[in-house]
Amino acid sequence: MIEAAVDALGTMLDPMRLAWLALGTVLGLILGMLPGVGGVAGLALLLPFTFGMDPYAAFAFLLGLGAVTSTGDTIPAVLFGVPGTAGAQATVLDGHPMAQKGEAGRALAAAYTASLMGGVFGAVLLGLSIPVLRPVMLHVGSPELLAFAIFGISMVASLAGSTPLRGLTAAGIGILLSLIGSDPQSGTLRWSMDTLYLYDGLPLLPVALGIFALPELADIFIKRAAIAANASQDVSAGMLQGARDTLKNWRLVLRCSTLGAAIGAIPGLGSAVVDWFAYGHALRTVKGARETFGKGDVRGVIAPESANNAKEGGSLVPTIAFGVPGSASMAILLGAFLIHGLQPGPRMLTSNLDVTYAMVWSIAFANILGAGLCFMLSGQFAKISRLRYTLVLPLIMCVLYVGAFQGSRDWGDLYALLFFGVVGWIMKRLRWPRPPLILGFVLGAIIERYMFISTMRYGWEWVLHPIVLVILILSVLGLARPLIGDFLDRRRRSKGVRAPIHVSVMPADLLYVVFMAFAAVLLFATRGWSIEAALAPRIVGSITLAAALVGLLSQVLHRPSAEAGGVHMDVVSDFGTLAPRSIYARAGLFFAWLAAFMGAMALIGLIPTAFLFVTAFMRAERREPWPLTLSMAGGLTLFIFVVFDKFLRLPWPPTVLGEWVPALQVLPSI
Amino acid sequence: MAFRFTSLAAGLAALALANGPAAAQSVEEFYSGKTVELYIGYTVGGGYDTYARLLARHMGNHIPGNPTIVPVNLPGAGSLKLVNWLAEAAPRDGTVFGTVARAAPFDPLFGNDAANFDARALSYIGSANNEVSVCVAWEGTGIENVEDLKTKELIVGGTGDTADTVQFPKVVNAVLGTKMRIINGYPGGNDVSLAMERGEVTGRCGWSWSSVKSTRMDWYEQGTVKVLLQISTAKHPDLPDVPLVTDLADGDDQRLLRLVFARQALGRPYIGPPEIPEDRLTALQDAFMATMEDPAFLAEAEGLDLEITPVSGPEVRQLVMDAYDTPAKTVQRIKDILEN
Repeated sequence: MIEAAVDALGTMLDPMRLAWLALGTVLGLILGMLPGVGGVAGLALLLPFTFGMDPYAAFAFLLGLGAVTSTGDTIPAVLFGVPGTAGAQATVLDGHPMAQKGEAGRALAAAYTASLMGGVFGAVLLGLSIPVLRPVMLHVGSPELLAFAIFGISMVASLAGSTPLRGLTAAGIGILLSLIGSDPQSGTLRWSMDTLYLYDGLPLLPVALGIFALPELADIFIKRAAIAANASQDVSAGMLQGARDTLKNWRLVLRCSTLGAAIGAIPGLGSAVVDWFAYGHALRTVKGARETFGKGDVRGVIAPESANNAKEGGSLVPTIAFGVPGSASMAILLGAFLIHGLQPGPRMLTSNLDVTYAMVWSIAFANILGAGLCFMLSGQFAKISRLRYTLVLPLIMCVLYVGAFQGSRDWGDLYALLFFGVVGWIMKRLRWPRPPLILGFVLGAIIERYMFISTMRYGWEWVLHPIVLVILILSVLGLARPLIGDFLDRRRRSKGVRAPIHVSVMPADLLYVVFMAFAAVLLFATRGWSIEAALAPRIVGSITLAAALVGLLSQVLHRPSAEAGGVHMDVVSDFGTLAPRSIYARAGLFFAWLAAFMGAMALIGLIPTAFLFVTAFMRAERREPWPLTLSMAGGLTLFIFVVFDKFLRLPWPPTVLGEWVPALQVLPSI
Repeated sequence: MAFRFTSLAAGLAALALANGPAAAQSVEEFYSGKTVELYIGYTVGGGYDTYARLLARHMGNHIPGNPTIVPVNLPGAGSLKLVNWLAEAAPRDGTVFGTVARAAPFDPLFGNDAANFDARALSYIGSANNEVSVCVAWEGTGIENVEDLKTKELIVGGTGDTADTVQFPKVVNAVLGTKMRIINGYPGGNDVSLAMERGEVTGRCGWSWSSVKSTRMDWYEQGTVKVLLQISTAKHPDLPDVPLVTDLADGDDQRLLRLVFARQALGRPYIGPPEIPEDRLTALQDAFMATMEDPAFLAEAEGLDLEITPVSGPEVRQLVMDAYDTPAKTVQRIKDILEN
């Protein structure tokens, strides 16, 4: 085994192969930085170019590209609160507040040090566990997958902070959203509103970008200031500090990267939950986390980032050992395997062991190179956070829209993005925790799927599988502890004396009513569905209704005197002395800009709209000089044209202008 | 859907087409210097995508005028989004065609509400593969052949209500009286294979033979899985001793099986919008078949482990037309089987 590892190292040190690896890594970084694009589309497009390469160079190139998208995605997450890929959502929670405090350099440096260590450790772990991979994996069946997903949901209790019932309600809504679309059992179209867009379910991307990214951008817009308006920290000093932060927390890095590698290795759980698992783990185990997380604690950046990069090593496991890809990028890699005549399976761990180890080395090298490059550049990136908002915001908003459209190439993505942007902003404003919603959304459909498989196959006996039993007990404990703690807290505060009933209603309570109405409407719509299709929606819908009702009543009747008694598990924006009326007016204006963008896109196509939008925004918001405005608008338009029209070949939707004057369809996107 | 790559000249040509006879322009003149878009009804990286991208790299050389063929992914609703678009909104001048689910042309017949198109009006360019699917049992189940399958239960993994892995065992159970128990809900075929390996399910039915060959040939060679049945319109040369499903029934039953499994001939189908001008459609169909014999194409397909057993456009069209001529009684029986 060691011999094979050393042989593979020799193979990979070939300069040509290293050059391919470096090229893949640089491309992966760029793709990861573009919100919504990610590495999958790039991998598929570049796959044919690897046909002619030798297998080692091909894998070096593809793995390099795939492994570092979760390195590149940190930059928009920290700077703008925009997760570059679904794997960077948790990074936003502490990374973005750090950038607001002027610590973008520190946050990025800490993230890259963590990415590097996590990525390399994940690769080492993979290398060491190769001999026992297959036997272990054969113990993970559908019941075990189900148990892992339930365990993930149980983290909602921690991620909800001081408001467990709001968390539970949000998670319920998230699960209900995940059940939209054709159900896997009977094919019933659930809540699809007769659109083909919702046939396969609501895609993760517009939901995640809407819930997390748009609210942050709206708040930047409302503040009318640079992201780090009053930054004092020197960028390079911050970078050093960030690197030191990660080294100091090396135990956390090791724990989270182990977690990342392990979850990555389980096919079916999906890469979108890895960062939340790590974040939830850090929240439970790190000292003082409940007070500082969500407010710019560097450890809240280190945890998801180290797990994120370890995941890629992990997801190689099911791909090479069983031919079951652990992530979308691995599915494409599997295609590359076959092209180069490699059959996944036991042989990859015996006679083709050197190839497997070459892959492990590729991942390790790519992480070192990718994180190293980003680390060196993070000082430059950090400076973006000090730019005027009129320079940054219009560009990000355009790229976000194109990126979201790239997901399923459908207008539905843009509506969903705007809709969830409004929902996310209101939740954030009213201090409702957003992470449970996204966690419910990611895990809900997985739980339903494996619940059916497990029950159909084993009846209820699947609960008694040893691994399942242990994980389920852990989940119950994790879920119950904060709820019980909350209850005891209240008892202690009221010292056994029943507080007098005192009715009070606050704006945040209204969201309970909205969510209850939403759940009720969905529940009502399950009439007439087959039992397979209706079972999960009815159970989850009822629990959501109940949680919201209890939450509403307990708030209205026994409002705790100081609501800030516990931790609020989400990013909070400080608008200083801005009056609430102006806040809402500015928020309305922000979403009006987005609606105008969509209107213009329907009229004249996305690429001309991007040019027009940037120009209009920069002139209307702050009378930026014309030369600057035009060159930024032109540059962005060219960029979108090259990347999305020429490289990714997006099929643009039809436009009114194109229908009126067909001759203009010569122009891209009209 | 905007039709980006139409040049100004093409716009004018379309106008001319509307006003005057198409014969004014030869096929070669039309395609020369033009871009043809090959739409893929799935996301990147899957089987349909791999086949289509390979075709796009070679087919342009065989169309008069040598247009550039550009693959474009338009995924959604198991490719129904693309079929609906091709049927209703796509340009009909021969510059657009696409690859969709092999079952799609039959969806309106078997009552899929989301499939609101007339399959008989679509243009059929060809199919790259006459698919042969198999049903297998894992070793140690004691199931060695179809007869065993009628007495012993085989637990097969399914990948969704409309997937072959669910519909094929349902039909075989109903017609041949086999006892396959379907555990539905796995995200993909590879997950079913893994479930089989760890003993969660004991078989897989509706598994494309070419995929067995490229991913799990060792299981077949070492006897880890036993191939019980092959499902297609004709036997695969690799499997002379495995019974073909349509040979196991006669009369109405056999007609029903033929109808359901006609989709196998459309393994990797290429379909265009209705009303493509006759001469251009013929040129596309001929170019398709010529590509299927192009040594460069075949060499690359071999490298990708893609099986190439082409079926011509007119043949594919005939299969679809025949299916729609089936008596209502048989169609109803199929609907009943699939809905259970």
